[in-house]
Amino acid sequence: MKRSTRKSLPILIVATIIAILFLLPLIWMIFTSFKTLSESMASSSILPSAWTLENYVGIFSSVTDAPILRWLFNTAFITAAGTVLVVFVDILAAYSLARLNVPGKKVILGMVFAALAIPGIVTLFPAFYMFKTAGLLDSYVPLILPYTASTMGVFLIYNFLISFPKDLEEAAYIDGASQWQILYHVIFPTIKPVAMTLGVITFLGIYNDFLWPSLVTNSNDMKTITLGIATLIQGANFVNPAKMMASTVIATIPAIIVFLIANKYIVKSVTNTGIK
Amino acid sequence: MYKGASHKIWSVLMVSPFVIFFLLFWLLPLAFGAWISLHNWNISSGNLGFIGIENYKSILTPGTLYYDLFINGLKNTLYFVVISVPPLVLISLALALIIDNLPEKFKPVYRTIFFISYSISVTAVSAIFLWLFNGNGGYVNNVLESIGIISEPINWLGEQPYAWVTILIATVWWTIGFNMMLFINALDEVDGSLYEAADLDGAGAFSKFVSVTWPQIRNVAFFILIMTVIASFNLYGQTRLITAGGPEQSTNSLIMNIQTSVFSMNQLGIGSAMAIIMGFIMMLIIGFQYWISYRNKE
Repeated sequence: MKRSTRKSLPILIVATIIAILFLLPLIWMIFTSFKTLSESMASSSILPSAWTLENYVGIFSSVTDAPILRWLFNTAFITAAGTVLVVFVDILAAYSLARLNVPGKKVILGMVFAALAIPGIVTLFPAFYMFKTAGLLDSYVPLILPYTASTMGVFLIYNFLISFPKDLEEAAYIDGASQWQILYHVIFPTIKPVAMTLGVITFLGIYNDFLWPSLVTNSNDMKTITLGIATLIQGANFVNPAKMMASTVIATIPAIIVFLIANKYIVKSVTNTGIK
Repeated sequence: MYKGASHKIWSVLMVSPFVIFFLLFWLLPLAFGAWISLHNWNISSGNLGFIGIENYKSILTPGTLYYDLFINGLKNTLYFVVISVPPLVLISLALALIIDNLPEKFKPVYRTIFFISYSISVTAVSAIFLWLFNGNGGYVNNVLESIGIISEPINWLGEQPYAWVTILIATVWWTIGFNMMLFINALDEVDGSLYEAADLDGAGAFSKFVSVTWPQIRNVAFFILIMTVIASFNLYGQTRLITAGGPEQSTNSLIMNIQTSVFSMNQLGIGSAMAIIMGFIMMLIIGFQYWISYRNKE
């Protein structure tokens, strides 16, 4: 045991140096948010010489320019609603396609596979124009519903189900269970890992999306936090790194907390996305 | 089992929400986009008439405004694919190998640290790197000047090749953890008994990697390569926010230029045609990669 630790000392040192490099931008972001404007632009020290909360006070008091709590709420609402909707809709569809011999099954599956191969940029601007024509811009509708068109989830769950034995479902069916009971008591527990995977992928995708929300929102109050930060970069905070970093800290900390809690599932989900 | 009318109704009810959403938000925009691309379609005044393949012609005819815009974006995007894919794949593999060789108890900590930046949004990443590398008061310049490596500030965001270097560093820092996780999972599944056999043969670390590890992670590596090419092709947020396409439009990505044609020039028809051509180019490149990989397998 001891020998193996000593043997791995060089690689531990290398890993630690890389880890510090990875963490430096985040550490710099946090400390800079507590610097004064002049220090944030002139100093080469990572720690502030005089700590100040003025950047945070400034952000929370400029609610018309940067309603950052509203942006966080929008993101929480959109990611939660979008993720639940996508996972639910995709489970139902994949179950129906894998188990129930739905009419038109081959056509639907064909479209699911074809859609995976076609890059998203092709539908982006026409979809924007459709929402514009329908008068739905600057509402939650285009910020949530279009994510349901992704076929990745149906693909993942369908593949999972067809490689999974039907014995339990058949037993439940013979025992007189209804379709809903089978779905709830047999299918949901079975597909839980792949559904979690889909949930994590969908959550990260919606949370990180920048171009689409920037097309379909106009008012400050409808922005997501990801889009809001972009607005600050291009606007009021452009010349103020300290204030910029304070808003970035507020935007980033919730995501990092979610990430650390969901770490286990994210690790699994990355495995599940691929390959098998 | 599962016969009869009631099952048919159930199956249709269950699949229809997805099918409706898919038709509305994917197939309809796809078909509509193809239709728009055959028209002189203005984003504010609407459809100004059918013009056949004129949009495609003017995008692909050298010398026209739209040709310059499209080629500028395509050239920059391809350049970014070329400079970003090798580090994103090779460094992530190196990181995964480092993690794989760490003592068991240290693995989760380092894995989390290398992966944590992936949880940050592209706009927050851009905010951080915009100010780390700012030419005027940016932290990197301040540090380099204070330790005497440079005497004049480097104009990281306003001069090449520094602008690409900044975009590249930001992208690697942001996304490399994802590729690394895929490699780590692949390495976990490598058959360990083969290493023992290689040890008995007296194989060194490098020859063990080449003869034992690589054949078993090759498929994953190929998957990662394809995913990375697609991601780099979709370059948008970093160049929009960190360099704003500069200096002299050298970091305008293809998606940025398509957006310009739609929103600054109001040409939705041109923009839709550009997006379709971009989609075709991406599918060609990915198809080519598949072809190469299948050919090598035989």
